Amino acid sequence: MKRTLLVCCGTGCLANGSEQVVQALENAINKMGVMGQIEVKAHIKRTGCNGFCENGPIVQILPDDISYYKVKPHDAQDILSALQENKVVERLLYKNENGERIKSKLENPFYKPQYKIALRNIGEIDPGNIEDYISRGGYEALTKALNMSGSEIIEQVELSGLRGRGGAGFPTGRKWRTAAGYDVFPKYVVCNGDEGDPGAFMDRSILEGDPHSVIEGMAICALAIGATEGFLYIRDEYGLALKNVNAALASALELGFLGKNIMGSGKALNLSVVRGGGAFVCGESTALMASIEGRVGEPRAKYIRSVQRGLWDCPTVLNNVETFANIPVIIRDGGPLYATLGTKTSSGTKVFALVGKVKRTGLVEVQMGATLRHLIFDIGGGIIDDRPFKAVQTGGPSGGCIPSAMLDLPVDFDTLTQYGAMMGSGGMIVMDDRDCMVEVARYYVKFLTEESCGKCTPCREGLRHMLDILTGICEGRGQDGDLELLEQLCQTIAESSLCALGKSAPNPVLTTLKYFRDEYEAHIHNKYCPAGVCSKLTTFVIEKNKCKSCGLCKKNCPVNAIRGEKGQAYEIDQRSCIACGSCRQACRFEAILAQGRAQK
Amino acid sequence: MNIVIDGKSCTCEPGEFLLEVARRNGIYIPTLCNHEGLLGQGCCRVCIVEVVERGWSKTVVSCIYPVLNECEVHTNNEKIKQQRGIILRLLQKRAPQSEIIAALCKAYSAPALDKLNEKDGKCIICGLCVRACSTLGAGAIATVNRGITKEIAPPFNEPPADCIGCGSCARVCPTKAIEYHENETTRTVWEKTFTLVHCASCGAQMGTQEELNFAAEKAGTEPSTLCDACRKKQLALVMADVYSAT
Repeated sequence: MKRTLLVCCGTGCLANGSEQVVQALENAINKMGVMGQIEVKAHIKRTGCNGFCENGPIVQILPDDISYYKVKPHDAQDILSALQENKVVERLLYKNENGERIKSKLENPFYKPQYKIALRNIGEIDPGNIEDYISRGGYEALTKALNMSGSEIIEQVELSGLRGRGGAGFPTGRKWRTAAGYDVFPKYVVCNGDEGDPGAFMDRSILEGDPHSVIEGMAICALAIGATEGFLYIRDEYGLALKNVNAALASALELGFLGKNIMGSGKALNLSVVRGGGAFVCGESTALMASIEGRVGEPRAKYIRSVQRGLWDCPTVLNNVETFANIPVIIRDGGPLYATLGTKTSSGTKVFALVGKVKRTGLVEVQMGATLRHLIFDIGGGIIDDRPFKAVQTGGPSGGCIPSAMLDLPVDFDTLTQYGAMMGSGGMIVMDDRDCMVEVARYYVKFLTEESCGKCTPCREGLRHMLDILTGICEGRGQDGDLELLEQLCQTIAESSLCALGKSAPNPVLTTLKYFRDEYEAHIHNKYCPAGVCSKLTTFVIEKNKCKSCGLCKKNCPVNAIRGEKGQAYEIDQRSCIACGSCRQACRFEAILAQGRAQK
Repeated sequence: MNIVIDGKSCTCEPGEFLLEVARRNGIYIPTLCNHEGLLGQGCCRVCIVEVVERGWSKTVVSCIYPVLNECEVHTNNEKIKQQRGIILRLLQKRAPQSEIIAALCKAYSAPALDKLNEKDGKCIICGLCVRACSTLGAGAIATVNRGITKEIAPPFNEPPADCIGCGSCARVCPTKAIEYHENETTRTVWEKTFTLVHCASCGAQMGTQEELNFAAEKAGTEPSTLCDACRKKQLALVMADVYSAT
């Protein structure tokens, strides 16, 4: 029997040594072959990211449907020997909450509830091999689209109800229809791969693991609106994505899916990659276009939309990576079928980067309308160490923090927005009782003070002053009136900023003020950080009766502030302690207590 | 078409900027980064107004908002006054030495946000100077960095090699933030001192030699040694000669 070993070579697994695993597997196969013992003809494929990065490197074996996790090079021999005997290596299988070992990928509690469209091929194909993509139905949609009129293509996208996955959720079909309606040429199709939200890696994964799905989606869009030129704007930090996309463009061109005469149809499309220099604001549509044109990446006022006057003042359709990855499926299977997935106003699926204090972190794709609880507790497996859930931050610096009372809200474009947060592009950071919400707000504002383009006053100066106030609160200098001024600043920034970065910048502050105001008040009035995070307000003490004198705290203290020996309770020297909280994080017995400094 | 600004019916062309329409009708909207020669900067946001269009209200920047539909505009209602006050207070924190901002803050009863840092100057980073410089073609200064560390600077913070000393940057600056000194013989800007050239005939000041060379090179001529008035006079004499000869 011929087996295929799929070794995950996404960024996470590569960092965990999957390249060495590939080497070890290849060596083992060769060795067994030479010794004449091999009965399994194994073939190794380097795939894109499987999404379950924290358990990488991942090795999937087909057709046996075995998935191994945290594979090390020295496991290679065991894996192949077991394969020869049609057995599995138990210790490398995923262990669920009940301690059972799971053999099949689809039975894994992380994958089982997922519904994959945008990620349909990732982890299953070698992104460097266009034949792999074609064998799974790739470029069928393009072939179909070549026999449709532009209007027919757009109609299917409209019927699908697809909305832009970059965060704003603008109906994709309507955007294409508008662009198609302008009788101005040339027109452009642009893919926004400047993903920059902290903790988000959805687009990265698609570009790395299935670049052809994005290229095919762009080609269909170009046919629909009548564009002959297109760009993929990808941030330069995404080295593997750039490499894989460039290789995919070359092979698509070679096979005639791009170029001057697409599959003999007489239609043309030239796609090229533009590398982004690392400015977060270049993910904003007009700043991105300025950057492609070679100007400084600053947004312009959008009183005239870029679909009318975008790149070089020509009609331009800009869509997110994930949006384009959905297009081939919509065209192949028809818009109405896609529309049956998800909710009425947010159809289809959405990819989320589930990170933070959750047991199973990674990339997940579910139908729109899944609840936060389903994502965090069913797929994510709940909070690490079963600590209390406090909040989930969605939508990055444009989104907000959602409290536990709202865990049953469905995640779609409209619901979270009603509550001051937003689904955004798909970042989802889970927080527990040891996360300070004031500090979270401060972190995002700090991020934006560095990443604002600095062009308009409300965003640049408003965020600067908000950061001053929030830093003051975190450091115990908060005073009466701070929260009211913050709210006024938020309102002004939201209404009078130039672009969406500024307009949405207040969201992390506003939502934390709305749902966690008591935490702000504790910081201001009692000079106390309830989560024990703000170091200027917090001291740590070891509760003697709970301390098992294991020494973990001492080992983890970065400034050697903990004294003690085995057999006696440990003690923190307050003079040298920097209140970083490493000891509390390390302690397995809840023996380390955070106290307010003012309460001492 | 007609729009209503602060209760007054105003006639305008579709696509005209709202600020222009208001000004033509004698309605005052404060501005800083708006310059008639360099329209469309739109970044100080002092000129925000509220526009109500088909029942939808939005805050827009009047200097770059093109009027396309009939609407009702409020340039100074409570909401706008409050937001403009906040923007002015933020600008004052950035540029505490600016007199025009101090005056506007006073007019809008906008108290200082916190203790102003005496070391901060007058620049509000609107970028008009950069645009003036690049529009003329010298391109000697630029905005540097992004976010709250953004500033206007010559390359490497050194006296800019490409500067021709024309002083356009200083002239368009709404807060007089660019230091600019001139005496009989020299002009200093961006810490670079230029020798001033005077008309060979009447002795009037003509600008810096670099400025004259730059203009001559663009026009494809030799730099003039005469001022505009004297050159015209000389030309008139030549013409008179030509006519009297015939």
